[in-house]
Amino acid sequence: MGNADRYTKVDRDILAAMEKPGRVYLAGLALTATLTVIGGILWAYQIRNGLGVAGYTHPVNWAIYITNFVFWVGIAHSGTLISAVLYLFRARYRTSFNRAAEAMTVFALMVAGLFPLIHLGRSWVFYYLIPYPNQRQLWVNFRSPLIWDVFAVGTYFTVSLVFFYVGMIPDFAIARRCKEGIRKRIYQVLSLGWKGTEREWRHYGMLYLFLAAFATPLVASVHSVVSWDFAMSVIPGWHTTIFAPYFVAGAILSGTAMVITLVVPLRKAMNLHEYITDDHFESIAKILLFTSLIVSYAYIVEFGLAWYGGNVFEMGAFRYRALGDFRYLTWAMIFCNSLVPLTLFAKRLRRNTTYLLIVSLLVNVGMWLERFVIIVTSLAHDYDPYVWGTYSPTYVEVGISLGSFGMFFTLYLLFVKNLPVLSITEIKEHL
Amino acid sequence: MAFLEKKGGLAVLIVAAGALMAFVSLTPAPGRGGSLLLAFLFFVAVVEGCIAAAAAGATVNARWVDAVRKELLSVTPLLLVASFLLLLLIPFVDSYPWAGRPGIWLRKDFFIGRNLAFLLLAYVTARRFAAAPAEGEGTKSRAAWYLLVFVVSQSLTAFDLVMSLEYPWISALLGGYFFIESIYGGFAVSALLCLLFRGTPSPNRAHGSRSDLSDISTLMFGFSLMWAGLFFAQFLTIWYGNLPEEVGFLARRLSASPLRELCVAVLFLLFFIPFPALLSTRAKSNPYVVSAVSLSILSGILVERYVFLAPVVRFSPGALAIDFACLLVLFIVVVYQRSRGADRIA
Amino acid sequence: MAGPMVFEEKEKFLQRLRELVQEGVPGERIRVITPFGIPEVEEILPGKRSKVRFFALVGAASGTVTGFAFTILTSLSWPLIVGGKPIVSIPPFIIIAFALTILFGALSTFAGFLLLARLPSLRGIRSGEEYGNAFVILIEDGERK
Repeated sequence: MGNADRYTKVDRDILAAMEKPGRVYLAGLALTATLTVIGGILWAYQIRNGLGVAGYTHPVNWAIYITNFVFWVGIAHSGTLISAVLYLFRARYRTSFNRAAEAMTVFALMVAGLFPLIHLGRSWVFYYLIPYPNQRQLWVNFRSPLIWDVFAVGTYFTVSLVFFYVGMIPDFAIARRCKEGIRKRIYQVLSLGWKGTEREWRHYGMLYLFLAAFATPLVASVHSVVSWDFAMSVIPGWHTTIFAPYFVAGAILSGTAMVITLVVPLRKAMNLHEYITDDHFESIAKILLFTSLIVSYAYIVEFGLAWYGGNVFEMGAFRYRALGDFRYLTWAMIFCNSLVPLTLFAKRLRRNTTYLLIVSLLVNVGMWLERFVIIVTSLAHDYDPYVWGTYSPTYVEVGISLGSFGMFFTLYLLFVKNLPVLSITEIKEHL
Repeated sequence: MAFLEKKGGLAVLIVAAGALMAFVSLTPAPGRGGSLLLAFLFFVAVVEGCIAAAAAGATVNARWVDAVRKELLSVTPLLLVASFLLLLLIPFVDSYPWAGRPGIWLRKDFFIGRNLAFLLLAYVTARRFAAAPAEGEGTKSRAAWYLLVFVVSQSLTAFDLVMSLEYPWISALLGGYFFIESIYGGFAVSALLCLLFRGTPSPNRAHGSRSDLSDISTLMFGFSLMWAGLFFAQFLTIWYGNLPEEVGFLARRLSASPLRELCVAVLFLLFFIPFPALLSTRAKSNPYVVSAVSLSILSGILVERYVFLAPVVRFSPGALAIDFACLLVLFIVVVYQRSRGADRIA
Repeated sequence: MAGPMVFEEKEKFLQRLRELVQEGVPGERIRVITPFGIPEVEEILPGKRSKVRFFALVGAASGTVTGFAFTILTSLSWPLIVGGKPIVSIPPFIIIAFALTILFGALSTFAGFLLLARLPSLRGIRSGEEYGNAFVILIEDGERK
C-alpha cells in the first residue's frame, strides 16, 4: 500500500469513530446523563438545606467532597504525564493514548473544579476565592493553601485546555475535509483555517514543545499544592513532609489506571487494535507499577516514622488508621494500591488487557479509598479525645459523587463521538 | 600509572587508602568520626548515584547510557570500601543522641547491621547489573533489583545516619530527598564522564539534534527542578506548621552565620545555577556550561551534607581532608582504570 | 502563481524540493503544504528558528514578576497577620508566582503562535482548498517549474 493510501486509511479508521452512534452508546450516554442530573438535583437540595444533609459535622468536616476533589485532580495528572512528559522523552508509544489522556485531563479538571463549590455549602459566595479589586480593598489570603489550589488548579485547567485544543488543530483540518454539513462548518472554525504550510508547522512545532515544557512541571506541582491542603495543617497523619511526592505518585497511579479503564473498552468498541497495541498497554502498565511502588514506599515510611518518632499523637493516628473504625478501608486500600499492582512484574499479565482492566478498576477504587482514609481518619482522631468522632456518608453525598462520575463519563462519551480520539497527525508522522 | 595496570594494583591502593582512613578516624580525637561520616555520606551518595543513573537509563532504554556505562559502573568496588568505612564508624555511633538507651529500631547492632547489609546488597546487585550485557531483558531486571536496593539503602542512610542525629525530629521526605539527590549527583558525574571520555559534541551539528551530552544535561535540568520541588516541599511544611519539635531543625541551621549562608549557597549550587544555565538548548551541549553545572551540583551535595551534620556533629578539618582525598583518589583511579582498560580492549 | 506540484510520496516531494533549492529558487517564494510536520523540510528550506520561544520567555518572566508583585503588594496594602505568618511571607508567594509563571508563559506562547502563524485565517476557513494527504509545493510569482 502506498503511503498516501496508508494515510487515508488512518484518517478513515479514526474518523469512523465519529459516525452515527449505536444503541449501546446511546444507552451508556443516557445512564451517565441521568446520573449527572441526579447529582445536580441533589446539589440543589444541598444548597437549599445546608451541608448538614451531607453528613458534615464536627469533627469530620472534610470527607467525600474533598476526597472526590483530590481524586479527580489526581486523575487529570496522568493525562498530562502521557501527553506532555512522554513527548519530552520522545516516547513513541504515547501517540496511541495522548488524545484520550488529554481529554481525560480536561474533563477530570472540570469535574474536580466543581467540588470546592459543592463543598462550600454557600456556593454563591465562591467569588470570595477570586482575587479581584473590590470596594473594601480586601484581597484573598495568599498564605492559605486553598487559594494556592485556586491558582494551581486554575492554571492547570487553562494550560491543559490550550494543550488539548492545540493538539487537535491539524486534526480538525482533517475532520473538516471529511465531514459535511454543520459539522464541517464547526470543524472549519475550530481548525482556524489551518492549511499545513511550512510556516504554520514551524511555529506549531515550537508551540507544542513549549506547551509540553510548561505542562510538565504542572504534573508535579499541582498535586503537590493539593496535598499541601492537608500537609499545611498540624493534624497528625496530615502534617508530614512526604505528602507532595506521595500525592503526585498517587495521582499518576490513579490516572494511569483510569486511562486503562477508558482505553481498553474504547479500543474494543471502535476497533482500533491496529493503533493501540498490547505493547502500548504494557508501557502504561509499567508506569502504573512504578508509581504503585512509590506509593507503597510512602505507606511504609509514614507508618514506620510514626512509630519511630515516639510522638503519641502520630502513633495514635496511624494506629487508628490501621486498627480503628475505618480499618477495612485501610486494608482494602493497601491491597488495591500496593499488593495488586505487584502482579504486574509478570510480563504475561502486563500484556493481558482484560487483567489490566481488572487491575485498573481495583486501583481506581483503592486510590479513592486512600484519599478518603487519609482525610477522614485523621480528622476523626486527632489530638483531643473529647472531640473524637466518626463519620458516615449520606445519600446526598453518594448521589453527588455518582453524579460526578456521571458527568465525567458523559463528557467523555460526547468527546468520543465528536472529536478524533487519536492524534491522527502524529500517527501519520510515525508511519 | 603502570602500577595500576598490574593485576593487584588497584587492590593495594584500596587497602592503603582504607588503612590510612582507619588510622585517621580511629585515633581518639574529637571530630574524627564526624569527618568520616561526612565523607562517607557524600561518597556513598555519589557512588550509588552513578550506578543508579546507569540502572535507571537501562530500564528505560535510554540512549545516552552507552556512552558512559562502563565508567559509571566501574565505581562498584567502592561500595565495598564504603562498607568498610561504615564499620569504622561504629565507635562514632555512641555519640548519637539515642545511644545507650533501650530501643528496637535504634540499637547500635541493628543500626549498623541493617545499613551494612544494604550496602553489601547494593554491591552485589550492582555487580550483577554490571556483569550483564548492555542490552537484553535480563539486564533490565537486574537494573531494577539494584534500584530497589539503592532506594532502601539511601533511605536508610537518610533516616538512620542523618535523621537520627536530630532524634526525635522526623521528616518523612528525607529518605526520598536523599536518593533523588543521589541520582542527581549521578547524572552530574555522568555528564563529566561523557565530556572527559567521549569528547565534546561537534559544533557543526544541526541545532537541537540529539547528543548524549545534551540528553544528560536535560536530565540534570529536570532533576534540578525536581530537587527544588522536594526541597521546597520539606521546607514549606516545616515552616508553615511552625511546630516546635520540627522547627528546631531549621532554626539551628538558619539562625546564624555561617550555616545560614551555606544554606543559601546550597540553594544556588543545586538549583539557581543549574536551572538557568541549562535552560537554552545551546547550553546543554556546551562543555564549559555543563562541566561548571556538574561541579556546582556535586559541591552542592557536599555542602548540604555538611549543613545537615554541622549543628550536631564535630569535625576535624585535617581528618576530613584526608578522608575526602583518599576517597576522591580511589574514585578517579577506578574510573580511569576502567576507561583505559576499555581503550586497550577496543 | 504557478500551478501547485502535488506529490503522494514523501520521498519524491523532498527530492523535488531539494532540486528546486539547488536550482536557485529563493526560499521565500517556495510555499509548502504538508499533512504533518516534516523536520527535513526545515533543513532544506532556509529559515530562522521560530520566534514563538521569545513569547514564551517574556510570558513566563512576566508571570513570575506579576505573581510576586501581586501577592506582596496586596499583602502590604492591608497588613493582616494571618496564622502567625509574616506579612510578606515568601514561601507561599512562591507557589502563586510559580503558577502564574506557567499560566502566562503558556498563554503568551499560544498568542505568539497565533500571531506568527497568522491564524485564524479567514481565507483558510472559507476557501475550502484542500490537498488532503498530499505533499504540495507552490512557487509564488515565478516561472512555471
